[in-house]
Amino acid sequence: MIEVRNLTKTFLQKNGEELFAVNDLSFKAHKREIVVLLGVNGAGKTTTMRMLSTVLQPTSGTATLEGFDLKKNPRDVRANLGFLSSDTGLYARLTAREIITYFARLYDVEDYAIETRISNLTKLLDMHDFLDKKIDLLSTGMKQKVSIARSIIHDPPVMIFDEPTAGLDILTAKNIVSFINQCKEEGKCVLFSTHIMREAERIADKIVMIHRGKLLAEGSWEDFMTETGLHDLDDIFIHYVNKIDGEDE
Amino acid sequence: MNLKKIIVIYKKELLDLVRDKRTVVTSFILPVILYPLLMIGFSSMMARQETKLEQQQIVIYINDEVQDRDTDALKRSLSELETIQIMEEKPNFDNITYINLLKGKTIQAVVNIRDSLSSTGYRILDITCYYDETSEKSSVAYRKINDKLYEIEEELVSERLNEIKINNEILNAIELKKENIAPPEQMVGFIVGKFLPYLLIILTISGASVIASDLIAGEKERGTLETILISAARRNELVIGKYLTIITISIITVLLNLFSMYLSFQHIFMQMGSQINEFHLPVWNFALILLLMLPLITFFSAILLSISSYSRNIKEAQSYQMPLIFGAIMLSMVSFLPGFELNFGFALIPIVNFSLLMRDIMLNNFNPYLFFVVIGSTVILDIVTVYISIKLFHSEKILFRTAEDKSLKFWGKNKRNILNTQFVIVYYVIILIALYYLGGSWQMKDIFSGLIKTQIFIIILPVILILRISKTDLRSALKLHNTKPINYLMVFIAALPLLLLSGIIAQLINMIFPVSKAYLETMKDLVTMQQHGLLFTIFVVGVLPGICEEVMFRGFILSSFRKKGVWAGIVVTAVLFGAFHLDPFRMLPVTLLGIWLGYLAIKTRSLYVPILAHFLHNSLTVLISNYSDRLAWMSFIFKDENIAYWTVIPALVILYFVIAGFHKVNPEMVD
Repeated sequence: MIEVRNLTKTFLQKNGEELFAVNDLSFKAHKREIVVLLGVNGAGKTTTMRMLSTVLQPTSGTATLEGFDLKKNPRDVRANLGFLSSDTGLYARLTAREIITYFARLYDVEDYAIETRISNLTKLLDMHDFLDKKIDLLSTGMKQKVSIARSIIHDPPVMIFDEPTAGLDILTAKNIVSFINQCKEEGKCVLFSTHIMREAERIADKIVMIHRGKLLAEGSWEDFMTETGLHDLDDIFIHYVNKIDGEDE
Repeated sequence: MNLKKIIVIYKKELLDLVRDKRTVVTSFILPVILYPLLMIGFSSMMARQETKLEQQQIVIYINDEVQDRDTDALKRSLSELETIQIMEEKPNFDNITYINLLKGKTIQAVVNIRDSLSSTGYRILDITCYYDETSEKSSVAYRKINDKLYEIEEELVSERLNEIKINNEILNAIELKKENIAPPEQMVGFIVGKFLPYLLIILTISGASVIASDLIAGEKERGTLETILISAARRNELVIGKYLTIITISIITVLLNLFSMYLSFQHIFMQMGSQINEFHLPVWNFALILLLMLPLITFFSAILLSISSYSRNIKEAQSYQMPLIFGAIMLSMVSFLPGFELNFGFALIPIVNFSLLMRDIMLNNFNPYLFFVVIGSTVILDIVTVYISIKLFHSEKILFRTAEDKSLKFWGKNKRNILNTQFVIVYYVIILIALYYLGGSWQMKDIFSGLIKTQIFIIILPVILILRISKTDLRSALKLHNTKPINYLMVFIAALPLLLLSGIIAQLINMIFPVSKAYLETMKDLVTMQQHGLLFTIFVVGVLPGICEEVMFRGFILSSFRKKGVWAGIVVTAVLFGAFHLDPFRMLPVTLLGIWLGYLAIKTRSLYVPILAHFLHNSLTVLISNYSDRLAWMSFIFKDENIAYWTVIPALVILYFVIAGFHKVNPEMVD
């Protein structure tokens, strides 16, 4: 599970002022649960996810993944985490199998287990036809499957998806969504970020809305409807944004 | 760190690179075919061209104003030369017409024969040979005519001697024979040693730069960097794995280069030398150079890796690599220069040390002690650069630098933009170029008027103009505020100790890198006012630089850089100030002076204080150079134009108290 506690990240701007990219954010995501981080572009979703994947250091606050603290055990955090986003790339000159094997080794998967794991993933993601082709020769959909396989080769208990469907066609995006559901069924804890309300509505067990780095609201789709009396997620989101803007002024 | 994981990363990178056509061509294929093609092809082509040139038919014209038995014989001998054809005389042509024909390349030489009498009554044939040295064919014609005329002269002289019954032998008073004691290997080493270091250094760095830019900046560009950063590998493991990859490919490149170079040389020398058995290339020297390449490769790899970590994409990495490659090329050329011998000082300068050491190794004449100094100093630099690379790889600010970070949109209307560091750097470079070309040529014509023009038109006026155009408040930008009188007094007290310290540093540097006599003379002429009076010299050397250089450096440049932190600003400005004097050997003392001046400017918040300090420093130099031998007490400090070393201690003590004084009088270190 993921437990985020008062997570804050500031960047120094050119004019010397501090920008709060993520501001005192706290939430939880449990096993067998899909939590969607929902917010407009620039709300702080990617920064949050980068902190959770230990690529960025929090300015203050922290989070634990499977009990490992971001700051104290960054390597254990990464070992228990699979990360996928739409703008991560693949090595064009390597074959799908070589890339997956490379990451398996980086994640300390034992040599004897790598073969089995690859053949399972090949079956699951239907990659037989292009497993030994170089990435250069693959279509976008195929590449996305290789990326998925890369991110899950070490069978991590926590999966983080940072806008994984951005810029993808409907069919490829659908593959990803079904893969996310599969992760949940396998008992993984899934954190998913998006700015598309429909997507959130469709797969989320819980939605965490953020705006300008701050938490707007947290709960299930039904919770929000009851609380606001509104039926459209767009309207609900705007309702909360207006509310916090009113408080700020 | 986990060795197994480093190997996993290393293997993957190698696999990835070997599949890259660009790497394979530049690192593996090029060296193998380049040398044979260049050397064998070029040398055999040259040999052929030369033979062709020798065999070409040459047309010359002989204008014989003497027309007697001797000159007829001379003409006959020339016409007997195989490839020379003498043009028929035409009655309406004069000498100028023939020279025009020579210019038009219709003929290759014109020989004009006159005669005169020597004081002893013998006749001398005055022969002028007109030819065009820029034409190879014409040069060959001249050489052939010259050789033939020597022969004819010898015959004529011996005829004359015979007439008066004197033996020819009388002419041989001295017979000089030359014996080259250098064995063939050493001769080869002498020739090869000059350009081998240059070639190897360029090839190594250009090969490694292609790979290095791909390894980290390339990963950023393709979006794969984040995937490895979130893997369970540590960042040190990633950096080391990539570092080893660059080293490996570079070693292979160098091996292939040396091997192919060796075979090509062997081939050429076999073609050239008639005594094939004697011509052996020095194998062991090549092996030693290969060993020497290892620390050099690791050094280049580490720098290139740091650049790659810092850059956002391959293109940016390549543009940052350019100055490095240029610098390396310039420094490696030192092996071509005569008079540069490896000593302890040069052994500490990267690239220069390798270039000179490799040359010595090829000559079979190197100092083992300096060999280890070169390797040792490079290994230390290696460690530092790898450490920087790892640090960069840990910095999220650098790994995730955003696009607008480095944009060059600095030109704006408000003053914040005019004092923006990027703008100031560009400004500095432009002024530096102007100083080098324009100021240099002014000072070449006349040092005094040149210096005055430089200070006014290059250093101070542009600053004032730029600040005016941008409507910046001169007073606040340049810190033209008065300060407490005691600050000026303390500058007076510190002036002599400071001069002694900077003088001693310069003296130490001159001990390691002896300065040329000509340079010392120029500097001395400048301060000892050979043609001008004392007051004028002090004006040119003291007052003008004091005001103009302080306005530019402690005024304009420091105002901009101090935003990056007070000390960072002071040091960067001082380094720019040091480099501005366009003399690598004075860089250190001038930079230290710059730090002191910057400290004064910030501490007292007044530009007048560093102006006074700068003026005092330069003027004291003038005074001391002129009067040190006339005042008795001065000889206590200055002995044989050198500063006595014991003065360091009192100088440091006084300086310590002055600095303490400044701290007491001006407690805050902010504007």
